[in-house]
Order: sequence, then C-alpha cells, then structure tokens
Amino acid sequence: MRLQQFSPPLRNELVQCLQEIGIKTDADLLLSGDHTTIFSRLPPELGISLLDFRRAVEEVAELASAVAMHGDKLLEMENRQHEDIFADDMLVGIPEVDALLGGFRPPRIVEVSGDKGSGKTALALQLALRHLSRIDDSSVLWVDSSGDFSPERVSAMLAQISGEYSESALERLQVSFASDIEAVHEVLETLRQSFAARSSTSYTASVTTRCIVIDAITSLLGAMLSATSSQGHASMTTFMRQLRAFADSFSLAIIVINASTKILPRNPDAVFETCRKPALGPSFTFMTDATLWLSRRPTEESEAVEESTMHVAEVLRSRISVCPAPGPPRCDT
Amino acid sequence: MSDRPLSTLSLAPNMLSALARAGYETVKDIQDSTPEQLSKDLNIPLPASQAVFSAAAGPSRALPMTQSAAAMMGTTKQYSTGCQPLDRLLGGGLKRGFILEINGPPGSGKEQIAASAVKSFVECNEQVLFVDMQNMVPPATIKRILMNGPRAETDGMDLVSYLSFHSTVEIVAFIRSLTAYLEANPSTALLVLNSLAFPFQPHTFTLKSRFAILDKLKQTLARTCASMGLTVIITSQLTTKMLEGNGQPGSAPPGSKSIMVPSFAHNNFPTGRTYRVIIVPQTRTTGVMRLLSAPTHVPNRAQPLREEPYQKVRGVIS
Repeated sequence: MRLQQFSPPLRNELVQCLQEIGIKTDADLLLSGDHTTIFSRLPPELGISLLDFRRAVEEVAELASAVAMHGDKLLEMENRQHEDIFADDMLVGIPEVDALLGGFRPPRIVEVSGDKGSGKTALALQLALRHLSRIDDSSVLWVDSSGDFSPERVSAMLAQISGEYSESALERLQVSFASDIEAVHEVLETLRQSFAARSSTSYTASVTTRCIVIDAITSLLGAMLSATSSQGHASMTTFMRQLRAFADSFSLAIIVINASTKILPRNPDAVFETCRKPALGPSFTFMTDATLWLSRRPTEESEAVEESTMHVAEVLRSRISVCPAPGPPRCDT
Repeated sequence: MSDRPLSTLSLAPNMLSALARAGYETVKDIQDSTPEQLSKDLNIPLPASQAVFSAAAGPSRALPMTQSAAAMMGTTKQYSTGCQPLDRLLGGGLKRGFILEINGPPGSGKEQIAASAVKSFVECNEQVLFVDMQNMVPPATIKRILMNGPRAETDGMDLVSYLSFHSTVEIVAFIRSLTAYLEANPSTALLVLNSLAFPFQPHTFTLKSRFAILDKLKQTLARTCASMGLTVIITSQLTTKMLEGNGQPGSAPPGSKSIMVPSFAHNNFPTGRTYRVIIVPQTRTTGVMRLLSAPTHVPNRAQPLREEPYQKVRGVIS
C-alpha cells in the first residue's frame, strides 16, 4: 500500500522526502532497513526528529497490520450467516453425497474432478437446477469454457427435478462462454459491478447470484502451466485466491469442474482407483475447500437398470467436512 | 470503485511489476490518480500510463457475454435443410445458433444438401457465407438452385458471399480471421463450410497443429453461435481406415478390411450445439441417414439409434 494512501494521512513533506530516497510503500518503509538508517538518509532540512520519525514508523506499522478478530466473535458471525441462508437450498439431493461435505453452503469453493463421462457436469447441473427450483430470487452463473453447455439437456434434467419455481429456473441460469482466463476475469468483473450496484440501492427484490459453476477450468488454467517457468502457476494461484475473495465477500458457492490426468507410476496394491488423478498439478487441491473425485462403476449384468449408470464420489481432500468415520461412503445415482 | 487486482488486467509484465513496486494493487488505486501523476510516479511515458487507465476502465468486449439458458433456447424458428429425412432427424429443421455436420461417402449428395439449405436461408432474407474447400459447389450451382425457388430474381445472390480455398495457408488464415469477419458482418446468419475434411487430410498438418487449428475453429464457432446466433453447416468426407483381419488397426496385408469413418471426432465441435449426421447409402438410390450425436445426447452413454430412410430422385435426396 502506498504511503500516500494511509488515513489518517502522514505528514506530506515526510512522504515526499521518503519518495525521493526510494521508499514508496509501507513494505519499503518497514522492511528495507532499520528506521535509524532510513532516518540518516533523509535530508536534514526536513526538520523532523528521530523520535517523531520513529513514532511515524510505528503508526504506519499499526495501520498496515492485519485487523485482529476474536475467535468467539468469528464463530458467532458464522452461525448467524448459517441462519440467514437456509440449510437445505444448496444440496445435490442425494443425502449421502451431501453428507460427504456437509452440503454446498456458501461461501465455499469445491472442486469436482473425474474422468470423462464420470458425471461432473451432471452433478453441478443437478445442484444448480435444484437450487434454482426451490429458491425464488437466486440465480446461478455458469461459465462454459468449451461450448459443451446444451440448453436441451438442461431442460430435460429440469423436467425431472420438481420444485416450486421450476418455470423461471432457466431464466435465472446465466451462461457465459469464456475461452480464456481473461474472459473469466471480465465476467467476474461484470458480476462484481452488478453486486456493487445492488448494494448501493437498498431494496432486495431483485435476483442475486448465489452460485457460480466453472465448467472445465482445466483448459483455462492448464494452458499457462509449463515445466520451465513458474509464471503459469503464479497466475493460477492468483486467480484462485481472487475467486476465494469473491466467494467470501459476496457469499457464493463456487463449483470448479476439473479434468483428470494419468498417474505414473501405478501402484497395483492400492485399494481405490489410482491410475488417474485431478489435473492442474498437486497444489490445485489446496486452493479449493474440498476436492471430490467422481468415477463411473461398470454395472454388472444382473443389476443393470435401464438408462442408469452407477457413479462413485470420493472426497480426496477436504477442510470443511466433519466426518465421523474414515473412508469414503458409496452412493448410487 | 473496484477492488479488482491490477494483475488481472491484460497489461505487459514490466508495467505490472512497475505498478507493484510503486504500491498500486487494485484498480481503485489507479482510479484515484490521473495519467500524468501515474507517469511521473512510475517514471513511464505518458501514452503507457494512459494505456493502463484505459485497461482499468472496464470490460472492453462489446458483445454481451452472458445470457440466460432460457434465451439460448428461445429461438423457435427452424430453417429447412431442403431434405426431408434430415429435417425429421433434426426435429423439424435447423435452428439459429446450431451446427450441423453432415458426413457421407463420395457421391452421397451432402454438398447438394448444403446448397439447398442456403436456399431456405436466402428465402428468409438472411445473409450467407459459403466457403468451399474442394470446388464441389461453384457459384453457378448456387445460382441455379436459387433460381429454382420462388424468388426467381437474382437478388438472392446478393445475400450469398462466396469464398473458395485451395491451400493450407488460406485455411489457417481464414480460421484465424473468422472472428473479425463475423464481427464486421454481424448479419451473417449461415456459414457453410463445404468439404471441411479436405484441407485436414493427415499429410497436411502435424497432429499438434491439426489439434491447434481445429481447437481455434471450435472456439470461434462456440463463441459466435452463442453471441450472434450464427448457424453453421459443415459437410465433411469420410476417411478410410485400414483394419487387419482380426479388426486391429494396422497396415493392409491381403484380405484385410478397410472401413470409412467420419474425419472429425465428437469433440471437434462444441457438443452442446452440434448435430452430427451420416449418410449411409445402401443401394444406388436408397439408404438411411443416421444421427451420430445431438445436443441432447449425454456423453458416454448408449443412445437409441435414430435413422431416417431416404431416396435419391434424379440425384437429389428426398
């Protein structure tokens, strides 16, 4: 943060002299050296004493430090937020799957990963449509990066989900096509501006976005990752942190759909499927709150039901679920 | 006043590092000052600081990025392709914003279908861009088909723009400039890519460049179909694939089989908007048209087979 931007503002002449010797931000002032060394570099005609300068540096340190919060107050705030948002509006509809993560209540970012055809888009779509059918004044933003979004498929799925507000559900499902990460930034920026405009007017009758689904973030972020430079990884981390800040400030549930890549070498003694893993590297899972891995089980002939397939969802990593017993539960669709 | 971090704007890396060193982190910090002050602060020339301000000003795309799913389904007008079995497979006709890919062996009449679809668009007074990649449909053929319709004047030809390509370079240049062309001519309602498989034969592109150029085409199509409601008809030839006696792919010892398969895969076109159809001739004049995939199909699940029989009357499919 620049020194000019502090409020209450520092002395103007002091800030000017510091700029001239190359200290422009609070980090420069606090970290580039001991305050006596910096004081010795200031011109003598400034007329400030060492004591005053030290007090100014302490003031900057206090203003620049993070705001402290008490843990009990944080817990109280979180509980109050849970009361405001009904507990069952952001669920997939299958009790075991919802129990894996404790629902998809905002604010959280969940990564859904799996091979092709494992049901990732279907899961996110079911979550979004179920939410839209039950809650009247909420909308979902679907960011499509590969052009695979099909309104016909969506309306076929909507016909099977019964809800009070199903008729207007399709109007409240907003779809954006974004082929690269800058386009996603612009879509988020438009959303941020609409939130800001809504908060400035006081009535709340209009529709608010409560959920964002990013279909196939792999093609957006994976293009930048390379083995020789870490810049792509830095852009990926920055993007996910901004997404997190977005979710926290506007209370959104964000579902990020990720593809899968091969694992080498393979461990034949492993109990679960270990030939594929989520894409975008080992650190991507730490940028989201939880990672769900979906896979499709081949059905045996005896229990093959017409037009249905069996999928399994496992939690690979989560920091939001409270699970009483270890091991992923199985579920059917 | 926005909290958007400056690193998300598309600025040059040296500009971003200069801004970071001077302590500017969010768009709000920039908007509080002026270009002259910024250029003095960062020691950069004035045009560069004005560029930073214009990048921070907001989203630059003029086309709407977001639309509701209901709006995407909203178009009910269906254009006939001129071929009734195909119209039945499509559920009545081709709607705006959708892509139809027609595969078929040589002589099955797919280019004729593309040309007759042009006629139904011209009759509704819509502009068409016809791109021919193998000289199968010269402008005279299009004119003849249009003259047969109710609009016997040649005004119909004004609505059709015709392009013909022969070399790989032209194809790549076309695909890369397609977005700019469509933005300059937003009233184009139909794009016909005739004989698309011809420039993409295995010897012309390496696997990597084929993937890259087809991906670019897919992105362009997905974006323009969504934003402009562009309809696309693609005709493509089949590729021959050799199988050894036991069905494994390989080179051709005597007695082996060869089959003809569609040249493009399911995911070469945006799957949410594409109908893929193949013409399967069974006798000289009859056969079936089979639907390979449609927007309503769920991936990786067996779909019921949809076929429509057809007959060729005087060389035209009906």
